[in-house]
Amino acid sequence: MILGLILSSLLAPVAVQELEGNSWSVWADRVYTAAGDLLEGAVIRVEEGKIAAVAPGGSAPAGALRAAAVTPGMVDLSVRLLSGWTGVEHAREVNAGMRASDAVELFDERWKAVARSGVTTALVNPPDFNVIGGLGLAVKTAGGPDGAARELAPERVVRGAMGAQPSTRNHPAFGRPEDLYSRRPTTRMGVEWEHRAAFYDAAASRADAQRAFPGSPELLRVLDGELPFMVQAWTTQDIRTAVFLKEEIEREGLGRPRFVIDAAAEAWREPQLLVRSGVAVVLPPFAPLGRTGEDAFMTIGSAKLLSDLGVPLALSAHGNTSAGNSLCRQAGWAMRGGLSFAAALAAVTITPARLIGVDERVGSLEVGKDADLVLWSGEPFEASSAVIGVLIDGRIVLDPRAGAEQAD
Amino acid sequence: MTQALLWASLAALGASPLPLARGADTFAVHAAELWLGDGQRIEDGVLLVEGGRIKAAGRGVDVPLGTPRIEHDSVISAGLIAFDCAVGLDGETSEPKRSVLATGRLIDAFDASAEGVAAALSEGITTLVLTPAPTTLAGGRCAVVKTAHGTVLSAEGLLALSLSEEALDPNRYPTSPSGAMTELERLLGAGQGALPAAARVAVLIEAPTRDDVRRALGLAERHGLRGALSGSRRAGELAEAIAAAQLAVVVGPFASGVAQRELDSVVALGRARVPLAFALELPTRHPAGLRLSASLCLRAGLDPAAAWSALTSGAAAVAGVQTRVGRLERGLDADFVLWSGNPLDLSSRPVAVFVDGVRAHQRGE
Repeated sequence: MILGLILSSLLAPVAVQELEGNSWSVWADRVYTAAGDLLEGAVIRVEEGKIAAVAPGGSAPAGALRAAAVTPGMVDLSVRLLSGWTGVEHAREVNAGMRASDAVELFDERWKAVARSGVTTALVNPPDFNVIGGLGLAVKTAGGPDGAARELAPERVVRGAMGAQPSTRNHPAFGRPEDLYSRRPTTRMGVEWEHRAAFYDAAASRADAQRAFPGSPELLRVLDGELPFMVQAWTTQDIRTAVFLKEEIEREGLGRPRFVIDAAAEAWREPQLLVRSGVAVVLPPFAPLGRTGEDAFMTIGSAKLLSDLGVPLALSAHGNTSAGNSLCRQAGWAMRGGLSFAAALAAVTITPARLIGVDERVGSLEVGKDADLVLWSGEPFEASSAVIGVLIDGRIVLDPRAGAEQAD
Repeated sequence: MTQALLWASLAALGASPLPLARGADTFAVHAAELWLGDGQRIEDGVLLVEGGRIKAAGRGVDVPLGTPRIEHDSVISAGLIAFDCAVGLDGETSEPKRSVLATGRLIDAFDASAEGVAAALSEGITTLVLTPAPTTLAGGRCAVVKTAHGTVLSAEGLLALSLSEEALDPNRYPTSPSGAMTELERLLGAGQGALPAAARVAVLIEAPTRDDVRRALGLAERHGLRGALSGSRRAGELAEAIAAAQLAVVVGPFASGVAQRELDSVVALGRARVPLAFALELPTRHPAGLRLSASLCLRAGLDPAAAWSALTSGAAAVAGVQTRVGRLERGLDADFVLWSGNPLDLSSRPVAVFVDGVRAHQRGE
């Protein structure tokens, strides 16, 4: 007993060691702010997790973190880390009010790799086995020990899915078929009908409160343009369906929604349709032979084509962190297809931040914004450059200092 | 069957004890060391028992002349309390076809004559918290029972909630964590009536992963819930947040081969002054596992006072029966154990166990 007391008193004062602070000076040969300016030889002062100053000229202050180049932390709107079978709400096909924030696994080990690949903000959406899966949330990819600080905004989009995935096989996505599933659509036609029915029913609840249903308030927020409707549509026919849904909603006077089409691999086939309807696009990861998800075909010139037409464009790695498939590599592929560096940078930083309304906090290097920084060994997105450092809210996630032991 | 019915009818009496079981006699026990609880230990102490309750405990207790007296040359402490038990329930600890059975009562399925109950008694455990399985979102009310005489301390104890993946079933709503939280929010929300008013009922939230703990803390904050978390092997990594939420944690059971990280988690909770209690998982595990769990935590660095509290008074407070059991104090039930040595030492064993002032177990019998 006494021994136990002595032991415990010896062990007690060992507090969790504060590895790093959240105030730094970061100096780079080139600072790409994604806010219009390229700064040659600039220092970024980080205080209490925020960007306090971005000052060009001069030399590196003593003790500064150094890199060849610095960009804002990257933003991925389709990380797809919520994929377990329990993430799917089988009971209903339209769950606009359900929150991915109630299902997200912030302690999932995969987040560390995502953060170290340079992605500092991610949108987590419900899995696409529902027609309308619910509310996606924006999170920082690393942060405080209890996860509370990582939730940037719990309700950023309402997520839907066109095409084959919500109707995958005529039984539950996982588990045994039973009566619950009889209400699920089994065809593309059924999926599309569910979308229209949901929005028409929600619009009807505006005038008649008796017609409200679980999720109708969230659908009204979409119709009012307050939350974007982010809908997965890989193939041309599904992209058309999504665009026509938006146009029908507007034509019938149900509202003025904002649409973001995710995984729009075949957006390049009918780009004028996207321009006409004013939708934004998130491209899926490039595939070596062009064949992406749901058998859709994406060309390497897709990003340039859409960007040149003025379609708001974001790139996504779908949570991939391997050397050949991470988000910075997607930007590299888009540039190989002709996209300019500035447009590629915007497509992985400020544009996705704007699309989900978190650009007040992240997406560019501006005074007052969160100190989410990526430090590069050379020119960003080049195949020969590596992400050598990552800061999130001013805290080091990947340490750029030579020989530094990486914080876990 | 007759016996089962008898016990069931006793259970229905709720907190009122069986008159025959409660010791009518007055007697005194003199011990070399009396562990009163909450760190108070006295040498040469006397416990005076009257009518099944403790009339006095301490040194220099005024014992009336002619009072029968038992001498014990070692430690006497309050009986131990074990959480997360399913003994006497024939494995039927939930209604899995419903996602919500908030007003269900586990006591209604309990057979107090089950074999495992006496086994717990012989290990110095006098109070069991029977817990609904985490296979439904709201599994019903825990029961708090004694291990002798069929005494029921609380027929409507903590309300069991579950954020575990186990509560999700592909064949009934909800099938997803988002759906589960939506349903719990609806049930806890004002005016729904399906759950007892959250402000009045303490809850026991099954939260196996750190993300489940995070979600449980959010739920507790939004609805002002009080009570305890259970099932998390790594809750200690969120110890500060749990302490801030003023929730307790039910830890264990631990046996040989337990990961050091799990024990470190308990130590971290102890340092953050989070109230603790130990799970036993009776009858799946041997009742000696309760003190084994505590020993392993002590070995990892848990403060002995915190460990002892988690076995007795602290656990009683978590279960909501602290005015009845958990300490040796005037007015509390006379549930106590005569140990062969220090009860935190695994080589010590109960020599005799008293429940409601009646000798319910004698070593060698």
